[in-house]
Amino acid sequence: MSAEVFSVFYQFADVFAFLILSAAGLAIVFGMMGVINMAHGEFIMCGAYVTVGLVNLGVPLAIAQALAALTAGLIGVLVEFLVVRRFYKRPLDSLLATWGLSLIVTQSMLLIVGSAVRGIGTPEGSFAIGGYTFSTYRLVLFGCAVAVLAGLYVIFMKTRFGVIARATMQNAAMAKALGARTGRIYAISFGIGTGLAGLCGALYAPTMTLIPTMGATFVVESFVTVVIGGANVLLGTAPAAVFLAMIRMALNASYGQIIGQIGMLVAVILIIRVMPEGLSSVLVRRGR
Amino acid sequence: MALVEVKGVSKRFGGLTAVSGVDLTVNAGEVHCLIGPNGAGKSTLFKLIVGLYPPTQGSIFFDAIDITAERPYARVQRGMSIKMQAPSVFKELPVRQNIQTALQERLSGAERIAEEDRLLTLLNLRPDSEKLAGALSHGQQQWLEIGMALALKPQLLLLDEPTAGMSPEETFRTGELIKSFNAEGMTVLVVEHDMAFVRQVAQRVTVLHLGKIFARGNLESILQDEKVAEIYLGKTHAH
Amino acid sequence: MFKLLEGPQTLGRGKIFWSCFLAVLAGALAYPLFADSYDVGNFAYFLIWIFMALGLCLMWGYGGMLSFGQTLFFGIAGYGYGVLAINMGGGTATIGALVLSVFLAMLAAGILGYFMIWGGINGIFFGIVTLSATLVLAFFLGQTAGPEWHIGPARLNGFNGMKGMDPLTVGDFYIEGSALYYVMIALIVIVYLALRMLVNSGIGNVIVATRENPQRAEMLGYDVRKYQLLTFVIGSGLAGLSGALYTSWGQFITPSSIGLPAAAMPIVWVAFSGRSDLTATLVGSFLLLFGFQTITVYSQQAALVLMGALLLATVMLAPQGFVLGIGRLVAGWWRGRRRDDGAVMAEAGRLQSEES
Repeated sequence: MSAEVFSVFYQFADVFAFLILSAAGLAIVFGMMGVINMAHGEFIMCGAYVTVGLVNLGVPLAIAQALAALTAGLIGVLVEFLVVRRFYKRPLDSLLATWGLSLIVTQSMLLIVGSAVRGIGTPEGSFAIGGYTFSTYRLVLFGCAVAVLAGLYVIFMKTRFGVIARATMQNAAMAKALGARTGRIYAISFGIGTGLAGLCGALYAPTMTLIPTMGATFVVESFVTVVIGGANVLLGTAPAAVFLAMIRMALNASYGQIIGQIGMLVAVILIIRVMPEGLSSVLVRRGR
Repeated sequence: MALVEVKGVSKRFGGLTAVSGVDLTVNAGEVHCLIGPNGAGKSTLFKLIVGLYPPTQGSIFFDAIDITAERPYARVQRGMSIKMQAPSVFKELPVRQNIQTALQERLSGAERIAEEDRLLTLLNLRPDSEKLAGALSHGQQQWLEIGMALALKPQLLLLDEPTAGMSPEETFRTGELIKSFNAEGMTVLVVEHDMAFVRQVAQRVTVLHLGKIFARGNLESILQDEKVAEIYLGKTHAH
Repeated sequence: MFKLLEGPQTLGRGKIFWSCFLAVLAGALAYPLFADSYDVGNFAYFLIWIFMALGLCLMWGYGGMLSFGQTLFFGIAGYGYGVLAINMGGGTATIGALVLSVFLAMLAAGILGYFMIWGGINGIFFGIVTLSATLVLAFFLGQTAGPEWHIGPARLNGFNGMKGMDPLTVGDFYIEGSALYYVMIALIVIVYLALRMLVNSGIGNVIVATRENPQRAEMLGYDVRKYQLLTFVIGSGLAGLSGALYTSWGQFITPSSIGLPAAAMPIVWVAFSGRSDLTATLVGSFLLLFGFQTITVYSQQAALVLMGALLLATVMLAPQGFVLGIGRLVAGWWRGRRRDDGAVMAEAGRLQSEES
């Protein structure tokens, strides 16, 4: 493989990983329950802070990251139980309630921990191909994104939980009548969603400055991916991320990050107009 | 003279063909009933005529104009009006405002209020005119929706099971109402299961079965058709 | 035409309501005579945001379109006013800058709204697309610190924001202090009454009908998309008016008035107040802005935590809004008392239809 080709792949992988990792949790919660979790960014922030806190205490990075994802997941289950559960029939209200939560958490964090926390620095290690140097950690992130997709595939397609969860997603009342404990399935799914958000924060914690408002950095990417990906993580979010990553990569390379982001937004708005039912419906229809 | 012409129209949903190669002509000034067992494609055909679905194949003419590509509101502006199968009203708005929203493009001022009162009286909704539409009974909501459809003073009125949820007297009254509007020149296309009601109003009948036209003619000849009785009573030997 | 001031879409009618309205207006007009100019300036500052809240109330409460993009259009008009006022050179031209910048916001709303509404976006997705656009604008403006980011002599200045534009001016007279306050009061009265007339008109009927049942509205021959676009453009234009007035008031604007958490504020005001009524939104937003400003003096974070808590509490306890709920309670009590007295009860509002 020539260095140029690898370089293009590397840039694509970088954006793709960012999109998948930031959107997967949001997409799971939306797909299962029709709820957009506006506190998604705060769960990402939670994952990042827990990771950095544990690493500063001497815990190895990988273990700290796993624990951070777990923490975010458990908090998610608690939030589902206390708040989100009441709003399954009122999706717009769940949006507002989680937005309220997001405000409370961000601003409380600013009050309590202040704005700056000592970061931990990106794990070193790089490799060179041809004349280019690449960061190993960026490839690790790509690997993680692929692993997340594979993991979701296994959980939702191959396990008993997944079968019941998909049945609940199709028709909650029917699944309940057949004996599925839909309440518990929702709680677990919400936990998986926020756990993935936590994982995103944990994985990106070494690469960025930690501030309580960092969640906002991920929000746009996760929103637009879910908007065009629709309710299906595997058939929607993943292709949406591939598509957006290509646009983003091309624009980033020539015009920089912010133009890349604007271009991605414009692309999304155009897609909405041309394909009102989202990318996944097109894919699903073709698949028939 | 044909008011509506449906020419070779098909509608597929994924693998399911709901309507298949249907030709249907509704003449100006007639009351035309569309009957057929459940799942025959009657409601789908209605939604195709009014533009809620685009057809997969074929074309639809209204007053000799091809309206296949037009959006529903444009077809309504041409003089169509529909009452859907499930009552579809503005639930959080008062009954009178429901009617008013339907009337306001056509009439204004005192004339509009007089027409509102007339329709409300005609539909037996006058005492409930300040109630929210969502607080009405199912039958009353059917009346209200018929009232909104009538308020547009359409050339063609499409009624999808107008008498569902009504008592026999109310059903009879609905029939008389339809006949009186027809007498004033309105063309009516009705989907209905209630044969007594069909007998009361229909001048021509079309039978739809499995998405295709199965028979057409006047009600008496249709009822004498053994094949029609078979599909209704499930006596087909094909299975 | 004035008959449209009252109707089924707005709470408050009859002599008692309008007497209260006039009393409050008289109080507001007399206020600068008794208060010092600093307080009057502060008051004018609260009033700036009311337009944005009324606009969201129109879109969300009446039109059923939950836009999270109020600060997007606030920002477009706010920066627009700055750029135009600097480039057009102050003086009476600032009035032109104000009008043009609001027009700019409406144009942007028209374009974004066209793609979303014609694309069939509604409900949750309407919110998150508008919010995405809002955040992208905020990020973009945050990255414009370099000297290369300028429009004519107007530097965008990144996070530090744009400054140096003139306030609204007529001839040599700067509209500041009490003068600005009176301009605000006049604008609010005009906008409030105009919106009441709009929602009680035939167009208003179609707007609420579309919220209730878009398919039925279309089946009455209305192109509902056009009505939704109109609602979105007016509502967003009001956010633009707030933005342009804000820049003129403080002679600066920064990206932080666009991004999070600013974008959440209009949602909190309107949800807390009661999105389905203009008067409730007007009163509630003013109270919240007043309270918020009082607490912000001590700690902005604490004030924002409180706003988040209010949003959560509203959704959990009074999804229709607190101010509206209290208003109905008072009107109900009043009506009940008059019924006991055996008196005519024409004035107390449209309770019967609301209670069911």
